[in-house]
Amino acid sequence: MKKLPAFLQALLALLLLLPTGCVEPYAPDVIDAPPSLLVVEGFINADGPTTIRLSRTAALSATATPLPETKARVFIELKNNFQYSLTETAPGTYTSVALKLPAGSSCRLRIVTAKNQEYASDFVSVKLTPPIDELRWTPDNNTVNVLLSTHDDTRASQYYRWDFDETWQISSPYSPSVEYYNRAVTPIRTFYPIFCWGNNQSSRILLSKTTALSQDAVTGFRVQGIAANNPQLHIRYSILVRQRALSEREYDYWEELKKNTESVGSLFDPQPSQSQGNIRGLTNPDEQVLGFVGANSIAEKRLFIERQDLPDGWKPRSGYEDCIPPDSVFIVARFPDRRLVDPQGVIDRAFGSMQVLPIDPVLEAEIVVGYTAKNRDCIDCRTRGTDVRPSFW
Amino acid sequence: MKHFYALLFLVLPLLLTGPRGYGQQPVPPAKTVTGDFTQVPFGQFVRELETQTDYRFYYDNTAPPDTFRVSLQARALPLATTLQRVFEGTPYRFALTADGRAFITSGVSIEPELAGLFFRPAGTLAEGPVAAAPEDRAPTAAPTRSRYVTVAEYKVYTIGTGGGSGPATLAGHIRDIKSGEPVIGATIYSESPSVGTSTDQFGFYSLTLPPGRYALQIRSVGSKNTRRQVVLRGSGRLEIEVEEDITTLKEVVIEGEKDKNVSSTQMGLEKLDIKTIKQVPTAFGEADILRVVLTLPGVKSVGEGSTGLNVRGGATDQNLILFNDMTIYNPSHLFGFFSAFNPDMLQGVELYKSGMPAKYGGRLSSVLDITTREGNKKKFSGAGGIGPLTSRLTLEGPIIKEKSSFLVGARASYSDWLLRQLSDTKFRQSSAAFSDLSAHLTHQFSDRDAVYATGYYSTDRFRLATDTTYRYANKSASLKWRHNFSNKLYGVLTGAFSHYDYDITSEGNEVNASRLRYSINQTSLRADFSYYPNPKHSFDFGVSSLLYNVSPGGLTPLNEGSLVVPNILDREQALESAVYVSDKIEVNQRLSVSVGLRYSLYNALGPRSVYEYAPGQSRSESTITDTLSYGSGKVLATYHGPEYRVSARYSLSDNSSFKLSYNRTRQYISQLTNTASVSPADTWKLADNNIRPQVGDQVSVGYYRNFKSNTIETSVETYYKSLRDFVDYKGGAVLLLNRTIETDIINAEGKAYGVEVLVRKLTGKMNGWLSYTYSRSLVRANAGTPADQINNGRYYASNFDKPHDVTLVGNYRFSRRFSTSLNFNYSTGRPITLPIAKYYAGNSLRVLYSDRNAYRVPDYLRLDLAFNIEGNHKAKKLAHSSWTAGVYNLTGRQNPYSIYFKSENGQIKGYKLSIFGRPIPTVTYNFKF
Repeated sequence: MKKLPAFLQALLALLLLLPTGCVEPYAPDVIDAPPSLLVVEGFINADGPTTIRLSRTAALSATATPLPETKARVFIELKNNFQYSLTETAPGTYTSVALKLPAGSSCRLRIVTAKNQEYASDFVSVKLTPPIDELRWTPDNNTVNVLLSTHDDTRASQYYRWDFDETWQISSPYSPSVEYYNRAVTPIRTFYPIFCWGNNQSSRILLSKTTALSQDAVTGFRVQGIAANNPQLHIRYSILVRQRALSEREYDYWEELKKNTESVGSLFDPQPSQSQGNIRGLTNPDEQVLGFVGANSIAEKRLFIERQDLPDGWKPRSGYEDCIPPDSVFIVARFPDRRLVDPQGVIDRAFGSMQVLPIDPVLEAEIVVGYTAKNRDCIDCRTRGTDVRPSFW
Repeated sequence: MKHFYALLFLVLPLLLTGPRGYGQQPVPPAKTVTGDFTQVPFGQFVRELETQTDYRFYYDNTAPPDTFRVSLQARALPLATTLQRVFEGTPYRFALTADGRAFITSGVSIEPELAGLFFRPAGTLAEGPVAAAPEDRAPTAAPTRSRYVTVAEYKVYTIGTGGGSGPATLAGHIRDIKSGEPVIGATIYSESPSVGTSTDQFGFYSLTLPPGRYALQIRSVGSKNTRRQVVLRGSGRLEIEVEEDITTLKEVVIEGEKDKNVSSTQMGLEKLDIKTIKQVPTAFGEADILRVVLTLPGVKSVGEGSTGLNVRGGATDQNLILFNDMTIYNPSHLFGFFSAFNPDMLQGVELYKSGMPAKYGGRLSSVLDITTREGNKKKFSGAGGIGPLTSRLTLEGPIIKEKSSFLVGARASYSDWLLRQLSDTKFRQSSAAFSDLSAHLTHQFSDRDAVYATGYYSTDRFRLATDTTYRYANKSASLKWRHNFSNKLYGVLTGAFSHYDYDITSEGNEVNASRLRYSINQTSLRADFSYYPNPKHSFDFGVSSLLYNVSPGGLTPLNEGSLVVPNILDREQALESAVYVSDKIEVNQRLSVSVGLRYSLYNALGPRSVYEYAPGQSRSESTITDTLSYGSGKVLATYHGPEYRVSARYSLSDNSSFKLSYNRTRQYISQLTNTASVSPADTWKLADNNIRPQVGDQVSVGYYRNFKSNTIETSVETYYKSLRDFVDYKGGAVLLLNRTIETDIINAEGKAYGVEVLVRKLTGKMNGWLSYTYSRSLVRANAGTPADQINNGRYYASNFDKPHDVTLVGNYRFSRRFSTSLNFNYSTGRPITLPIAKYYAGNSLRVLYSDRNAYRVPDYLRLDLAFNIEGNHKAKKLAHSSWTAGVYNLTGRQNPYSIYFKSENGQIKGYKLSIFGRPIPTVTYNFKF
């Protein structure tokens, strides 16, 4: 049983003082497998390289991630028939060279798949994005809120969408001096990295519009909230927020998508409905294509949060709490268990899978009687991030 | 005396019932006739007979006329045989009485002797024999009956002064003897001839009969059956007081309906009295009128936490909900978990699903007419109840004894207090409170004039762990003046005012702090008349006018720091007027027809600005071609049209009939709701240049049959309904604060059809009803451009299309004090739009949705059980109390209220939300003093 949304919980408690309502997982018996539809993701970057990802829809019950659409030809077309082609840099990912398109100019995306099916987006007008004025954080009730402000004096932007990349530093509590190599525990040849950097991308659709306000200004928009004990804050945390000014139509598209896939679950939700994108089949006009390709520029801003700047008394977890203390693997008989030990067998059984790593020798009267050890995840921070120091760090 | 017969012949067509042959009458003591008659004029023949026998003859000169000549040879022939021979082969009939009277009639024979205490269908005659008859039955009062009623039943009331030359009208009120409250829906009828009527909402009845003697039977829900013996000489009044049936307090008594199921022309009418309503188990232990209405065939809702009614495939906004003639826009409390009517105030409820009377209009699907009781005119009393979430108290009593009374009821929740007891801070920050208050005053100026005033106020306020507070309120008042012009004509003038508003206050962030408001006012004035010229016709006619004043929404900043720009939509005004006339015609005993016509006229009024859109294109802000401004009181759009109301009944036998009805309805106001259930943020929108009124037609046919002397009723009704221009929405429509709301609305068409089968047992230890409904409700939006179409313009199931539905409401009475009720409900799951595929977008997996309403949620099944324990039945004690204990959703089935899908951590998960996913026990204490 899943925990209820707060709204419902309160409602139900209120009604009955008994947790009578409930939310259960639900898997419909039969959902006819639909034809796999082309999904287009990305936007035409008016000031930089454009990246477009093509994939296919998959049945809900499918366990594999949706398949990328490879070997397609993708073009950015301008109204004057000038076109730039994109090259496939990874399966399903197509990238152009850096372009500079003037605001208000008209362009579209055209796709020809490997099966020679042709698709195109509607022509959209290029919209330039105003810079992010401020990105700051405030502690609030055991949460760090990352807040964004922006404005556009020309009132041309009005519709905003954001996404972000989070990066945080990780440090494992152990730095092993030995390793299991050639069926023996030997002094380590390459030390495990001391620091790694975790990374995460926003998965919620962040939107705001200022049409109801007297100024085209977004003030203190909450981009992300991080709980006080989140290991992301343990050493240093950074967030890069990207801002795009959307057309009204694209805003509506994302808002509908958000409504249908994120903010459902309360009693008064609207019915889900299919978001209508702006891409159409040219070969077969009845074919449904998912996605919306707009044309705009990007504004970015990065924010760092240092551990020492957090309010007193905040204790972010390191994420390695469960790793302490280390385990021990003994290769000699220990009191009171006086059975003879087969040292080679012990070492092989303990470390042979490479999932448990030796850390340091345990010495008794200057004799190695065993090794401290722990799961790889507790030692090698690369299981939780990359050891490549980001350029901005 | 002879002229008296003329009266008889006037009413002969009414009496043309089964043939009565010669000699069927009891033969008087033999008196013989002797003589030779050849072509003797009838008059002379009679004189001869009068001299030879002790009989005195009564007949009309014209039948048989003096031109009728008699040829007969008689030798000590008995009089009866003589007359039999004389009249052989002629239309004339005769009748002889024991006390020496002979009656001669034309075409129909009469029964001059009193069979028991009333006449057989063949006749009503002079008061002579009548006066002699009644006292032969000595009053033998049942011990439970009051002396007054016993005496009244055996007294013979002489009405009118006599000498009238036509049928007489008997009128009056039927009232409760203890409280003086009118008894609504009581039937009063004479068994021979079979003429009957029922009391209206004022307890008034009007019965037209030929002069004569009658035993009138009076039956009503919750009252003891009684009768009155009258000798009707002319028009007059008879006030009848009936006793409450105390001992059968918890029975389903639908006696008023006893043969109505079969005999009335009305079809598609469901009547529930408060006693029936009170014994159906509910989730919170409190009698809930809307919840019980939902158990009736043809009535559905999208989910159990919703009081939005879908009647025969109609939308929730297509029901006219009247509370003593005041329109109630939001009849629910707490998101729809409670209905907003205090059960102790209520008399009962009537739901018209088809064959809507011409008097009502303005909504397509149904009329739900909720009436309050009248206060006790004789003594002060009260009632109340204490339940798990709410408590209620009702007081009533006379203001001027026998003339005026009051009835005041209040109900309040203590959920706010409960929330504060919870440990979770989220809950303690929440609040939810509701209350309602109603008052009803009556004053009887005279026999002819009475005034009724009703006030109603209900309010809800809730905040759920967020910074947003919802609040909504209904305020209504009505004043009714009723005047009897004569026994045959009365009129009611009603002025009513209804108000509904809500506001949503958001105060979390200073910059966005704002308040959203919506309100609708409705002021109406109507005059309704009922006219009963003769037993064959009863006319209803009237006029009404209704002024809407809507403020469709306004967003205002809460404080100076707020950046919210005030956004207040133009007010909307409209006038809806109607005239109607209907006539119920008793064509003959088998066939009865009711024809009615209502003509409604709607004017949308300024001041207002409306947009004009490019024709033939999908409406959007970019297709606005012009903005038209209208000054105050200027008409910006007019719609009008006839609404036909026809119904007919044909009796196949005494206990079975066949009925047919057709009605057209027009609706000029629509509720905008894009959510699965009715939400407090829904608004009502008036028709205007861009939004057309909805029009609905319904044809329905039914067969009715009663068994076991009307104790078991069965019926099969089938209907087909078509709806035009009803409101549907484009995907993701924005309904609040939308200045161009018409760009998000589609005028869709719908059709609905179904069969409803009902078996109802009315009396006995075991009673209740079982119904099965098969129904479909389909919608199509295929007009305009593809952007305006849903599912490519094909028919799709509406949100409330639930084909199969089985409901059982049963009661079993173990003893006078202990009874149990069971409620079973099964229905097909409602349609849902399901995700059918997944894809990756915006760094997360997303879902692709199917066509609208292409799938269904799992079926709905629920079983409830309740026990009622009454205090002792001493009729006179300080307070009567009862306990109701029940279990709602006995099987604990987790019926889906909503199914939804969320993308979480890159995965798509479906969830089923059930509201009452466990058995819910409740206990309520009720009292009455």
